[in-house]
Amino acid sequence: MTSVSPDLRKEQLKPVRRKGFFPTLGKQWQLVLMSVPIFLYVLFFNYYPMYFWVTAFQDYKPKLGVLGSKWVGWKNFEWLFSRADFINSIRNTLAMSVINLVFGTVSAVLLAVLLNEVKNRKFKRTVQTVTYLPHFLSMVIVVGMAQNIFASNGAVNELLMGLGLVREPVFFLGEGKYFWWLVGVINVWKEVGWGTIIYISAMTAIDPCLYEAAAIDGAGRFQRILHVTLPGIKSTFVILLIMNIGHLMEAGFEIQYLLGSSVVMDWSQTIDIFVLKYGISKQQYGVATAAGMFKSVVAIILLVAANLTAKKLDEDTLI
Amino acid sequence: MKKLVASMLVLAMLVSMVSLLPIAASADALEPITLTVFRGDPGDQPTDDNKIYKLIEEKFGVKFQFEYLAGDLDEKLGMMIAGEDYPDLFDGGNSADLIISNGALINLLDYVSPEKTPRLWAHIEPQKARLIDKDEDGNDVLYIIPNYGLPDGPQIALSVGGPAFFLQKQVLADAGYPDVKNLTIDQYFDLIEGFLANHPTNADGTPYTGFAILCEDWRHFCLINPVQHLMGRPNDGEVLIDVSTNDFHTETFIDKPYAKAYYKKLNEEFHKGLINKDTFVMNYDQYIAALSSGTILGMFDQAWDFGGATSALNDAKMYENTYVALGPVYPDDVEGKPEGWTIEEHYLNGSLPNVRRGFGISVKCECPERIVAMWEEMMSDEWQIIFNWGIKDEDYYVENGRLLMTEEQYAQLNDANWKLANKAEGFFQSSPKKQGWIMNDITLEDGTVITEGNCWEPGNQNEIVLGLMNDYDKEFLGHYGYSKWADFVNPPIDLAPYGEAWQIDYTPVDVEHQDFCDIQDRMLPELIMCDPAEFDAKWDAFVAEIGPSAKAFEDYMQEHVLIEAQKVLGK
Repeated sequence: MTSVSPDLRKEQLKPVRRKGFFPTLGKQWQLVLMSVPIFLYVLFFNYYPMYFWVTAFQDYKPKLGVLGSKWVGWKNFEWLFSRADFINSIRNTLAMSVINLVFGTVSAVLLAVLLNEVKNRKFKRTVQTVTYLPHFLSMVIVVGMAQNIFASNGAVNELLMGLGLVREPVFFLGEGKYFWWLVGVINVWKEVGWGTIIYISAMTAIDPCLYEAAAIDGAGRFQRILHVTLPGIKSTFVILLIMNIGHLMEAGFEIQYLLGSSVVMDWSQTIDIFVLKYGISKQQYGVATAAGMFKSVVAIILLVAANLTAKKLDEDTLI
Repeated sequence: MKKLVASMLVLAMLVSMVSLLPIAASADALEPITLTVFRGDPGDQPTDDNKIYKLIEEKFGVKFQFEYLAGDLDEKLGMMIAGEDYPDLFDGGNSADLIISNGALINLLDYVSPEKTPRLWAHIEPQKARLIDKDEDGNDVLYIIPNYGLPDGPQIALSVGGPAFFLQKQVLADAGYPDVKNLTIDQYFDLIEGFLANHPTNADGTPYTGFAILCEDWRHFCLINPVQHLMGRPNDGEVLIDVSTNDFHTETFIDKPYAKAYYKKLNEEFHKGLINKDTFVMNYDQYIAALSSGTILGMFDQAWDFGGATSALNDAKMYENTYVALGPVYPDDVEGKPEGWTIEEHYLNGSLPNVRRGFGISVKCECPERIVAMWEEMMSDEWQIIFNWGIKDEDYYVENGRLLMTEEQYAQLNDANWKLANKAEGFFQSSPKKQGWIMNDITLEDGTVITEGNCWEPGNQNEIVLGLMNDYDKEFLGHYGYSKWADFVNPPIDLAPYGEAWQIDYTPVDVEHQDFCDIQDRMLPELIMCDPAEFDAKWDAFVAEIGPSAKAFEDYMQEHVLIEAQKVLGK
């Protein structure tokens, strides 16, 4: 490692002559061609819609268009933040996101670690397949099942009553205080297997020598998990965490929309549902855009903050 | 000579070609087109070989491509409006006001007139004061020809098609067929309690539920509408209107003292176990499934809202589990009754044009003349028979000038799959149509004569409704000495000049109305389930919270009830 041939050194020391843009383009035209669709996709679906952000400051009417609609300044935002149910929906969105993030991450890491310790390949494969199958189910079906399971005469209540833990059925679906947790539990059931895949693949990248060395040093199973497996997936964990924090303002939409009902409205309505209800159904497109804009701004702030924190902690970061 | 023959031939060919030209041109006018159709309610696609659509295609060169509603109507319409993505034929369902106010529909008066479309004009003429509006510039506008409610001849009220408190027939049978005219709301629940005491479960051991309340989305009328009926008014939506006053005094009823009695009663019944908690989180499919299982003894609803369950119960021959519509009211001394108000049961109203409901033609349609011309042709007696009754000797037969069906043919009308292949419901339900009595003799193409005095709809034809009734129902009616189901309630009263207030377009106060509804949807179930000791305090909190939005809605409705009434009464 220390001795480098003088020739190579010379080569490296030569000043790098920057080639012009066009020669580079000529050389890499295949790469450029390949990125064109992606570039167009981002342009049309991510940048072009931003033009319509101006409608957040308008009383937007589709038949008048962006140029013909009336400008109203900050009125849409004022209206949003004057409504208790919008404030509620911010709270619900964040609460359910955090619950989903914590439950989802913890359960996925836990299951991945457990699976990693299983030596019987057949058993490991079976468990993996069974746990990630629900990911492919439509939320409509999952919620339909949950409604049956958690109904007053559903399996969970039968179990609780049979064990004598409660005297009358718990009204899981109709009491606001249960709603967030119900969403968390359903999401874990649906996504836990899917979540483990990336951690398991990170674990397979850990050098087996490390386990052997630890074993020779007298580390037991738990110590190997603690000192080899977990540190081995730390960077994956941090990257995923940062990405998920960027999505904190999206607590999901389908599950709350399907599982919610008017009696639990105060706990189930997320920002997305609020936007649908007032922005789309009531044709207040300006309000819908304003809420969307608010969401994006908060998401960017969260993402940058999480990234900075990770940098401070000297971890791998996303940007 | 040869030359002459040849030139004659050429000439003949030329002449025949020229004479072919106009034919080619007229065939051009009937160039086959496919119309896109949106229906603001759920439904199923017809089969490809549906016989009525085939007939329409042959005669008019028109095919339809249906899109039915899936999910929430207002959301769907909001998306369509945002993208100006309109079908040719546009039925906005109960939210047609949204598409009208966003300029999605064309003014039909540009195409419909006494000269151009005599049949359509004759159809709307009697109710034109109600149907034709003024736009912002003061021009006459008609966006939608009502899909229902423009019948010929005197009103037919064989059964309750709208709101009522429904009760399973076996409950009345078990109680020994008591007189249920002018029932009080307490007596209604007493009947259910009495039945439950004797029969807590059905034959399979499934427990009965005393009373169900559907609260989902726009169908929350099952929760929030009953009070006006208990006060003795037909359906005015969410307001109570005093028709005896000149100014049609209009108020929201849900926040008034007389509403408290009903929800207090529900609270009482909840604690007696008649109402199941799950009813408040049930969606429409689950509700229909529960009704179809025959274990729900009673509910407040509108008959058309659970037609699927009624068919299912009839199909399964569970006649004792089908429902009879009753009209309970408050006792005359109900607390908080407005001064001078007398409570008299009126669940049935005069026939009402279903204003602004049905197909409109969208601004994106390229051939509005052709659609209107088609409707005009379809308003002919022959086409109306085809749509309502079907094909002669396949779906119905004629005897002595009467339109009749065999038991089998009538049963097909309850068979959803059969209808997808043999009825054109997707199109006809939202199109202008004749209802009520056939007012003149009709001679069909094959010379068969249908005499006046038949009904346009099979479901109203005496020989069918009474003649083909199942034995259980016959016997049931026999115990009461009634001839029809509508005899369980008072005969219809005259329609108020403003129509029915639920039809009034409230899009200008949409947000306030949403709040008004949200508060009810959220707090009324709480009130019904709460500890009786807390009921009064919770009721006061409810009244206080709903106050502002109720006031905004009430003021708007008062103003517009008067405007609607003025249209009919004149200045």
